[in-house]
Amino acid sequence: MKKIKLLMLVITILVSGYISNAQTINWGALQDDKRNLLSAGLSLDHSLAYGLSYGRSVKVLTLPVIAVTEIFMPSGDQILDDFKSKIGGQIQWLDYKGFRFSTRIQGVFRRYQNDFVRMLNFGCDFAGVAGFYQSKWFIAAEAGFDKAIVTHFKHSELYRAKYAEAVDGWYEPSTGGNFYYGIQTGFNFKSHGISLKGGYVISQDFKTKPMLPFYASMGYIFNF
Amino acid sequence: MMFALMAGLVMISCTKERVLREPGNLVPKTVDQNPGLPSIFVNGALLHSEAFGDTNGTLVIVIHGGPGSDYRDLMTCKSLASHGYRVVFYDQRGSGLSQRYPASYYTSLGKGAIDLMYDELSGVIAHYRVNANQKLYLIGHSWGGILAAGFTGKYPDKVDGLVVAEPGGLKWEDIESYVKESRSFSLWGEMFNDACFLDQFISGRSDQHEILDYRAGMLGSKNEITGDDKPMPGNAWRAGAVINTAMFEIGNKYQPDFSAGLNQFQLPVLFLYSERNKVYTDEWAHHISAAFKKVQLNKIPAVGHEGIIANSQAWNSNTEPEILQYFSSL
Repeated sequence: MKKIKLLMLVITILVSGYISNAQTINWGALQDDKRNLLSAGLSLDHSLAYGLSYGRSVKVLTLPVIAVTEIFMPSGDQILDDFKSKIGGQIQWLDYKGFRFSTRIQGVFRRYQNDFVRMLNFGCDFAGVAGFYQSKWFIAAEAGFDKAIVTHFKHSELYRAKYAEAVDGWYEPSTGGNFYYGIQTGFNFKSHGISLKGGYVISQDFKTKPMLPFYASMGYIFNF
Repeated sequence: MMFALMAGLVMISCTKERVLREPGNLVPKTVDQNPGLPSIFVNGALLHSEAFGDTNGTLVIVIHGGPGSDYRDLMTCKSLASHGYRVVFYDQRGSGLSQRYPASYYTSLGKGAIDLMYDELSGVIAHYRVNANQKLYLIGHSWGGILAAGFTGKYPDKVDGLVVAEPGGLKWEDIESYVKESRSFSLWGEMFNDACFLDQFISGRSDQHEILDYRAGMLGSKNEITGDDKPMPGNAWRAGAVINTAMFEIGNKYQPDFSAGLNQFQLPVLFLYSERNKVYTDEWAHHISAAFKKVQLNKIPAVGHEGIIANSQAWNSNTEPEILQYFSSL
């Protein structure tokens, strides 16, 4: 089942045009002749999810920018019932003797389905990352906010058996949001890279902890 | 994706704004928001409650689980009314369709929050009791069984019969162990990911009951570990997220012992557990039921934790006959 799910994931990405990321980027390892970054990973981030991402580095004025698109799909028995996709970019603002600061902003589209409801959500994820970057390794700290801006609810017959008058439709303003902060590190060799990151998550009220109050991920990156 | 994003934004801009915390949008209104619901006023709280059967019959108070669940899936017990009993249902405060309170309302009482629940049960009994000689039987499911046992230990002379269905434990360490085991979902499984992924879509402050209750209700459709592997349509009205969190916080802090005083209760107790609950083994049932002086254990076949009472087939063929036989033996 897991192999089928992985295959479906790849097909979905190719069909839908989601090619994906390199959210955990070693700015020190970028090469002018290898502007594409393809990565795959496993993350524990509001689920145990498989992720794929594609990034392309470009220059905007004199600033390095990486345009990124990503998709994450939680594991489980149901294929494609839940996923999160992001599209956006990361821009490096500062580079001083290996210390670099960048910001990231991404539009987010998510889908969730269980026995009671199907939710579609548009959101926004923005973060700042600062750290030391060398050609072979890097270590950085990140802090960001993932906002669920607007969500569409469509309830199932099972939920209507529970509460028949539930109102379907788009709910706004914001239906949720989570802050996150943590560290990321990685190692590069030739065209390959390994990235690791982890940290904590807290709800937007700074009090409530989500079911998984932390995140962690590991990924493989290929530059070409 | 950009097309989907733009299409989504266009659709949203053309639709009426809906707000999660608006009462009635995603979860039903509570009795203080909807006066049309059956309710009673007990110890300062408006409780969702109904009673069936002869008002002079022996009182049978049905106590739901959670904390924070409701009595909807226990309404199979209503059939006891046709056997001459006065069957009473109520949603505990902060649960089901009863009035909501902030977490601090419970936590500020410390261990006294458990006495609050005992006092509430006393208030419900007093509300429905029509004469001083009217007998009292309690039926408690899950947390309701724990509450019923604790009440019986505290007031052994007030209870004339006690049925408990799969109380996780009576001492806090047992409750903690049972809850941990019954929620040990696989990291790779659908249930774990369904529960966690939702946090990205909806989150609410500690006083936003509509949001928190809806979110909690989303998690309760099924549990393969406890043998409830198929969702039961219409099994609940509304979860009480705040009281659930608050009572677990109080439990963790004060480690209550709900078996205290049960050695003073001389009558036999009917102890029910289910065949399909993987955590509630024969060994666990014997371990937990050892707190009662006289106990009659019955395993209900082919159902899980919720199905002992909620499954109408199991109720009609096993659970109700066992309860009626037990009542008649008292």
